[in-house]
Amino acid sequence: MAPSRWLRFATLLAALSLVAAACGGDDGGGEQGGGDDGGNETATIIHGTTDPWQSFAPAGSVDLPSWNVIYNVMETLLTIPPGGDTPEPLLAESCDFDDAQTYTCTLRTGVTFHDGSTFDAEDVKFSFDRNIGIADPEGASSLLASLDEVEVVDDATVTFHLNKPDATWPFMLTVATTAIVPSETYSATEIQDDQEVVGTGRYQVAEFRPGEQVVLEAFDGYWGDPPANGRVIVQLFDTSSALKLALEQGEVDIAYRNMTPTEIDDLRSAEGVAVVEGGGTEIRYLVFNLDQEPFNELAVRQAIAMTVDRQAVADNVYNGTVEPLYSMNPVGLAGHIDAFADEYGAAPDLAGAEAVLGDAGISTPVELEVWWTPSHYGDLSADEYAEIQRSLEESGLFTVNLKSTEWDAYTEAAFTGQYPSYQLGWFPDYPDADNYLASFYASDTFLANGYANDTVDELIATEKGSTDPAERIAAFEEIQRIAAQDVPIVPIWQGKQVAAVREGITDVEQTLDASFIFRYWVISKA
Amino acid sequence: MPKQTTSLRTYALTRLALAVPMFLLLLTLVFLLMRVAPGDPISAALGGRLSQEELQIRREAAGYDRPLIVQYFEYLGDVATGDFGTTISDNRPVTGMIVQNGAATLELTMVAMLIAVLVGIGIGLVAGRYRDTPVDVVGRLFGIVIYAAPIFFLGFLAQLVFGKWLGWLPTSGRASPVVTFELNTPTNLFIVDALIAGDWAALSDILKHLVMPATTLGLVTGGIFIRLVRVNVLQTLQGDYIEAARARGLSERSVVFRHAFKNALVPVITVMGLQFALLLSGAVLTEQTFNWPGLGSELIRYLDNRDYIAVQGIITFFALVVVGMSLLIDFVNAWVDPRVRY
Amino acid sequence: MKTQRRGPQPAAGPTPPVRRAGLFGRMIAPVREASGLPKWILWAGIVITVIFVVLAVFAPLIAPFDFDQYRSVDGARFAKQAAPSSEHPFGTNVQSTDVLSRVIYGSRTALIVVLIAVAFAMMIGVPLGLISGYRGGRMDRVLLLIMDTLFAFPYLLLAIVIAFLLSESIGRGVMSAAISISVIYIPQYYRVVRNHVLSVREEPFVEAARAIGAKPRTIVRRYVFSNVVQSVPVIATLNAADAILTLAALGFLGYGIQPTEAAEWGYDIQRAIADAGAGIWWTGLFPGLAIVLLVTGLTLLGEGLNDVINPVLRRRRLKRVEIPVSEKTT
Repeated sequence: MAPSRWLRFATLLAALSLVAAACGGDDGGGEQGGGDDGGNETATIIHGTTDPWQSFAPAGSVDLPSWNVIYNVMETLLTIPPGGDTPEPLLAESCDFDDAQTYTCTLRTGVTFHDGSTFDAEDVKFSFDRNIGIADPEGASSLLASLDEVEVVDDATVTFHLNKPDATWPFMLTVATTAIVPSETYSATEIQDDQEVVGTGRYQVAEFRPGEQVVLEAFDGYWGDPPANGRVIVQLFDTSSALKLALEQGEVDIAYRNMTPTEIDDLRSAEGVAVVEGGGTEIRYLVFNLDQEPFNELAVRQAIAMTVDRQAVADNVYNGTVEPLYSMNPVGLAGHIDAFADEYGAAPDLAGAEAVLGDAGISTPVELEVWWTPSHYGDLSADEYAEIQRSLEESGLFTVNLKSTEWDAYTEAAFTGQYPSYQLGWFPDYPDADNYLASFYASDTFLANGYANDTVDELIATEKGSTDPAERIAAFEEIQRIAAQDVPIVPIWQGKQVAAVREGITDVEQTLDASFIFRYWVISKA
Repeated sequence: MPKQTTSLRTYALTRLALAVPMFLLLLTLVFLLMRVAPGDPISAALGGRLSQEELQIRREAAGYDRPLIVQYFEYLGDVATGDFGTTISDNRPVTGMIVQNGAATLELTMVAMLIAVLVGIGIGLVAGRYRDTPVDVVGRLFGIVIYAAPIFFLGFLAQLVFGKWLGWLPTSGRASPVVTFELNTPTNLFIVDALIAGDWAALSDILKHLVMPATTLGLVTGGIFIRLVRVNVLQTLQGDYIEAARARGLSERSVVFRHAFKNALVPVITVMGLQFALLLSGAVLTEQTFNWPGLGSELIRYLDNRDYIAVQGIITFFALVVVGMSLLIDFVNAWVDPRVRY
Repeated sequence: MKTQRRGPQPAAGPTPPVRRAGLFGRMIAPVREASGLPKWILWAGIVITVIFVVLAVFAPLIAPFDFDQYRSVDGARFAKQAAPSSEHPFGTNVQSTDVLSRVIYGSRTALIVVLIAVAFAMMIGVPLGLISGYRGGRMDRVLLLIMDTLFAFPYLLLAIVIAFLLSESIGRGVMSAAISISVIYIPQYYRVVRNHVLSVREEPFVEAARAIGAKPRTIVRRYVFSNVVQSVPVIATLNAADAILTLAALGFLGYGIQPTEAAEWGYDIQRAIADAGAGIWWTGLFPGLAIVLLVTGLTLLGEGLNDVINPVLRRRRLKRVEIPVSEKTT
């Protein structure tokens, strides 16, 4: 009898699954999986994130998640210590400028790679040469534009010959793209397979399931102090809501990168979970195209800067996880001044905006076309720009026409000057004001928004060429003042770094700093 | 004049011959769609960081600016040799990605299909048998309502109820991170791998993660089957041979079970195969909703990144599967029912 | 001898002439003749669909607020993600807009898009099917191949890719959503119409018409088309039901309509999934229920129509047969 046979089979299968599910016990908490979690130093930490990795190759990636892994598995000559903001020695023992275009480093000895080969100056030269030589389209070799040649003086000494004075070079040596790879095992012409990553770092890659998880295990032969844990599993989630539920159910220990403000608020009151924050230097801003109307009018740009309600965006859209930003050089970096607040006031000044427009003879409401992109900067971009539209329109001075398109077409159009104004964000490559200000205000930036100011260009050249911190800071401050008056860009907000952790996880706050290096090795689990 | 029935072999060859242009058509469609759109993978990855000249240099280096025809034939050649290339955004060999994520989708869809078949056939048979009674009404209504509920809505409810409020079940992934790391996965079908390894704790973890997505997808697909099975049962029950069986004095039960149901199900088998395309569509939504690392969610991700090597690979694979399935179904159909052959 | 009276008296006089109903009359005749369960199914479908149509058409009058309105008339902002209350019966969502209003306006979006999509699909699929089926030959085979290929492919993938591309060129509006949805349904109309044409084409009356020299256009219009058109309403209705699901799916995946342009249920549910993790249920439940209700209504309508029109399944209301009693007396 056909149907009843199937029915019986179905019931059997259902029963089997129920039995299996019941027998398995409480496996929701992943930590119980291994048996050796007794001691601190052998603990497994599970980090959930929604940021996918591009590649674990220093020569082949520019994104933060990839660099995260690189920072833990490989090392650079210099690094920014937790909570600090100036480069300190790591693989190098000491480094100095011989002159404005020559930088020499003495290297540490007794360091071995994961595959046993010894670290020496050859590897340094090899790493830099191959990065520039491969020039991977997905890589960051363009950051090394000031490098002319790497000279191997002896086994433990290396000299960098720059083609122009570059005071930011020490910072460059802290960036993941300059991580050192073994010359004996890596190819000089091809990107290394992600399954065979070798470095000198505290962890090595134990397993990599593309698109799902990467597992790092402590490296026994590490030259320095061992990490505070034995293993890190970085698990990728498609959505932050799934990540949040996984955190609440104990499947992950740390949720970091891209939780929404709603979720963070809810986690603050959740049991067994704590929310930790740290200063961040991620920023969002609105770019004006000075070649298009009405943004060619200085008065319009200034009026917008006076009208946009940053606090409303920070409170209503981001629930306070971001701070209003008054300069394109973020808080926390040397040389920061609240230039826009100084120039226009911290709160919106509607009367002032109206006056500015009136003085210039511009009739209101001014029609603005503003572009944004739906997913690259998170789902909240929609809410953010709705909020900006509201504050601009409520003043009665503007009517805002919002448009959006996906990232790929968006960047192509934006950077070829097709959009009158558009949303953008920025992550530092290294925590120095030059990485921001030069990238935005030089006359030939990628923004292609038609802004060119000779004084600013001179100032940029000055700060790049000077090794005197005071001189650089003075230059930075002047650039910010001029930029606030010219308003080619309006800074909107600066984001804090927020992570949610389960009870027993400590020291995550230590590594939430301006460098954006997420140092797994400082994190411990009780 | 009665048509001459062709031999199965002739039919097979003809059908195969037809499959080729179908496949080519799909491939061309895929290629055109991906290439015709503005934008390219370089901009997607580096758009915010480099000048247009830089990007153009890199585009040329990667070959994205060659004439379309050249790229097209290169694409066809690659497909023919099975070389789907390496993804642009994360450097994975495409075939490897298809195997790994394809297995995840396969596991999900197979279990969902099982549930759909059980639900669909079970309720459909009963509803058809007891036509126009409350049982029928409830069955039909259930089928209609469950299909009307979008998968992501059911997913939302499931996550809310079972994930958040009751906390019984996980709402994402195929297994918890530690299990994923520790389980040896030769086939990448986690259930099979856990059984091979005899790891019952892992199996339970895996099943707990599978329950919600598979049930959601299975129920929604089952909703359609209910309707199909029911209609077929109704039509079958009106057939002459049923009358004859009844006239011969066979018990109603025997008539229904032995004759009607069996015959009602034959066309349903083939329809189920056709619903495979529907199942794949549903799988994309399910994977997005439940964070299931299958080909569907990868497709969305690569699409957003304009990684058209990856997208091409995935859709080409889907096209292969679909053409293969429809070929298979047609063969089975023709084998069973000679009237269908050309 | 007196005749025995049986039942009501037959009407005296000649039987009234039978009026041949027009096309429309013939089309809805099965509906009027329906009885029993199919009738209830049909009417349930009609009622639900009509409710949503009313909501869609009169949205500005029915909805308490605008779909993107985030503050009341006196300028006070709505609370963000507030639970259902007397002021906001369905609560508010993450952008501080009223969920009830968005649900109502969402029905407007859904019906507009679906109407356009189904109309497009019909306008292209039906004529193609007619011509293809009637003429046959190579064109028919090529078209059939293309349509079969499109039909066999997972519909959502096709819709996603097309929506994605259209969004690059004409932006993410109602038109691009409607077009991407219509493309995937063209093969359905094509197939059904073509099959019908193939079977009708061999009928004797068509052959006769050809024999007396009727032009193909006339034959198609008068005989084939009117026979074929009976099945189209059912397909169109079930199509519409499916199209709403597809639109919601596109909206959920992010390839739907620009959120500032119109309210769309699928997009709202996508935003709501993040809320589910925080235990906020109202932002997703109501749009979802709206989809379920509308699609169920349309499906019931389609199924109901099918039940009453499809001769295989049709059960006519049995009229009492009146046998005229003879007045003759012996």
